[in-house]
Amino acid sequence: MEKEYIHIILADDDEDDRLFFTDAFEELKINTKVNTFNDGVELMNYLNKPDAVLPNVLFLDLNMPRKNGIECLDEIKMDEKFNDIAIAIFSTSSSEEHIEETFVRGANIYIKKPSDFVTLKKVLADVVTINWQYHTSGLNKDNFLLRL
Amino acid sequence: MKLNAFYKSPIFLKSIFVVSIFAIFFISAITFKHINLINNSSKWVNHSYDVNLELERLFSYLKDSETGQRGFLITKDSTFLEPYLQAQKKIDHSFAIVKSYTKTDPEQENNLRKLEFYISKRQNYLSATVHLSLTKSLSDKSVREKMLIGKQTMDSVRSQINKMILLEKKNLKARELSYKDTIKVTPIFVYVTLLITLLLISISYIRINRDLDKMQLANNRLTVLNESNNLAEIVGNFGSWQFNIESNVFTFSDNIYRLLGCEPQSFTKGQDDFLKFVHAEDRAYFEDITTKRLEKDNLPSFTYRIIKRDKQLRYFRTTGRIVTNKSGEKILIGTTSDVTEEVLASLSLEQQNIELEASNKELLAFNYVASHDLQEPLRKIQTFISRLSEKEYDSLSDSGKEYINRIHSSVERMRILIDDLLQYSRATKTEKVFEKINLNDLLENAKFDLAQSIEEKGAVIESEKLPRMTVIPFQIQQLFINLIGNSLKYSKENTVPQIKITYKRVTALEENQIPKNTKDKFCKITFEDNGIGFEQEYAEKIFILFNRLHNKNDYAGTGIGLAICKKIVENHKGFIFAEGKPDVGSIFTIYLSEDC
Repeated sequence: MEKEYIHIILADDDEDDRLFFTDAFEELKINTKVNTFNDGVELMNYLNKPDAVLPNVLFLDLNMPRKNGIECLDEIKMDEKFNDIAIAIFSTSSSEEHIEETFVRGANIYIKKPSDFVTLKKVLADVVTINWQYHTSGLNKDNFLLRL
Repeated sequence: MKLNAFYKSPIFLKSIFVVSIFAIFFISAITFKHINLINNSSKWVNHSYDVNLELERLFSYLKDSETGQRGFLITKDSTFLEPYLQAQKKIDHSFAIVKSYTKTDPEQENNLRKLEFYISKRQNYLSATVHLSLTKSLSDKSVREKMLIGKQTMDSVRSQINKMILLEKKNLKARELSYKDTIKVTPIFVYVTLLITLLLISISYIRINRDLDKMQLANNRLTVLNESNNLAEIVGNFGSWQFNIESNVFTFSDNIYRLLGCEPQSFTKGQDDFLKFVHAEDRAYFEDITTKRLEKDNLPSFTYRIIKRDKQLRYFRTTGRIVTNKSGEKILIGTTSDVTEEVLASLSLEQQNIELEASNKELLAFNYVASHDLQEPLRKIQTFISRLSEKEYDSLSDSGKEYINRIHSSVERMRILIDDLLQYSRATKTEKVFEKINLNDLLENAKFDLAQSIEEKGAVIESEKLPRMTVIPFQIQQLFINLIGNSLKYSKENTVPQIKITYKRVTALEENQIPKNTKDKFCKITFEDNGIGFEQEYAEKIFILFNRLHNKNDYAGTGIGLAICKKIVENHKGFIFAEGKPDVGSIFTIYLSEDC
């Protein structure tokens, strides 16, 4: 079947982070397809194309030029056709304000970028294998932040 | 007392005045009446005498005529008839006079009519006897008869006249009696009234005298007060003024003139003159406020600039209030003070504050940005190293591996440092969102956060029940984490770390460490451990940023954790204190104000 892989998109302006991200998925033995975009504008242009293949999980960096993660989050949440996308915030910051704000605006999970590659792989593996239905049904602020 | 109050009231004097006036009127009326009475009675006495005199006279005329008639009868000489005829005329005349005297007295009039009848009867017999004597002798029976009747008639006349005189005397006596009665009571009456009036006047004199004394005293006091007020104005750099709204008249105290650099009372046109000293740019503002005052009752406090006579710039502040005096006039009283020093000081303070705030903000922003942005490259270095040590470790030489390890631990330390700094700047910068929360929950969260470390060390944490309080939840949680973390970090080797958390509700007065000027109630929480402790002399130093008591190789730590604690406690209007004994343990006491 064509649809057996998990489609994953990352929007992050940092080249190194994109590299770590794709490397991590390459090393993980999960059947995934990873697309990356350099900023929010590129991401939204892609998603809004009528023939776009929508991802299962979208990783959003918060601090991006042109259009930041929060703005992307708002646009996605406003459009019903994106309802099935699980949104993971993927940021260097772990400040309460950012966590609170993205939670309120409807992100599904908040990941602070790990500082070691082994942890990164573990986090990403956890996130893509979460049963989202189950996770979102009991959604509250405490399990919003993925603690590792 | 009501009477006393009446005595002191101003109505008292007025009523005494009215009463005295009435008394004097009364006395003069009585006196007038009496003089009238005396006048009347003397008139009556005269009248009675006149009547009696005339009656006597009338009787003597009658006797005259009888004497003449008898002379004629005896001598038959016609010269004797002369007085008899003359007496006739005089009798008529005298009778007319008596008649005119007695016409007001009906009884006398009645008597007089009888008298007239007897007189005319007598006269008739007299003339009849005279006529008879011309023809007959004296010894003639008819003459004697007539003469007898004449004598009888004369007796009747006499008795009638006597009766009238008696009546007149009786009347006089009665009048005298009633006159005496009145004249006896009146002087006593007048005298008493006079005495009462005198008494009243004396009382009012005393009262007026006392009032005058009081007024004098009040006047003296007022003079002293005025003088001390003047002095106070000079010392306090202010002046007072009054504005009579009805008569539109301004009065300034001497010191207002001095404040403007003028001689006291050297101008008189009130506000117009004063306005000349107001700074040109503030004149409109000044006038606006003073005109608006007319709509409201009070003049609000306002500050404006003044150019003194010597061209010096000063700041004045004026405020006023409407009072109504006892005559019902509305008067605006106010003070104007020279607040130049105050204004200049507050201006420079304001400026300093703005600068301070700006530099503080800058510092915070710098702190936050620096630590936040530093995280990014650092994280990457760490990731690359982790990749390196994962993928290429085996191909490195032993010293290369050692270097990699060293880099790894250095970078790790730097990350902790940056994390702590970030937390510190957040403790300072974050908007203070207070909410009421159960502190036990926050403590549980903190323990959960430290679970791994607690488990590793096998620490035992006992805690009393904590209250619900209004706090910034995540900061208090951070505070608990840092304090418990601190105890865990500086625990003794080979000893089970024990942390005892106690709670008590206290007031500032009960606690020696808290400044006494706060009346607030505090929540006092202590964290006591059995760790390595510290020398008491460092008790204050440990809360200073980057201050460490130990070598970083012995104990991991950045010297930021307790500084964050202090910041957080200060955010809650509280205090934090530390007590330590080397090798015994340390006690951290926090006071959180319940007033947040």
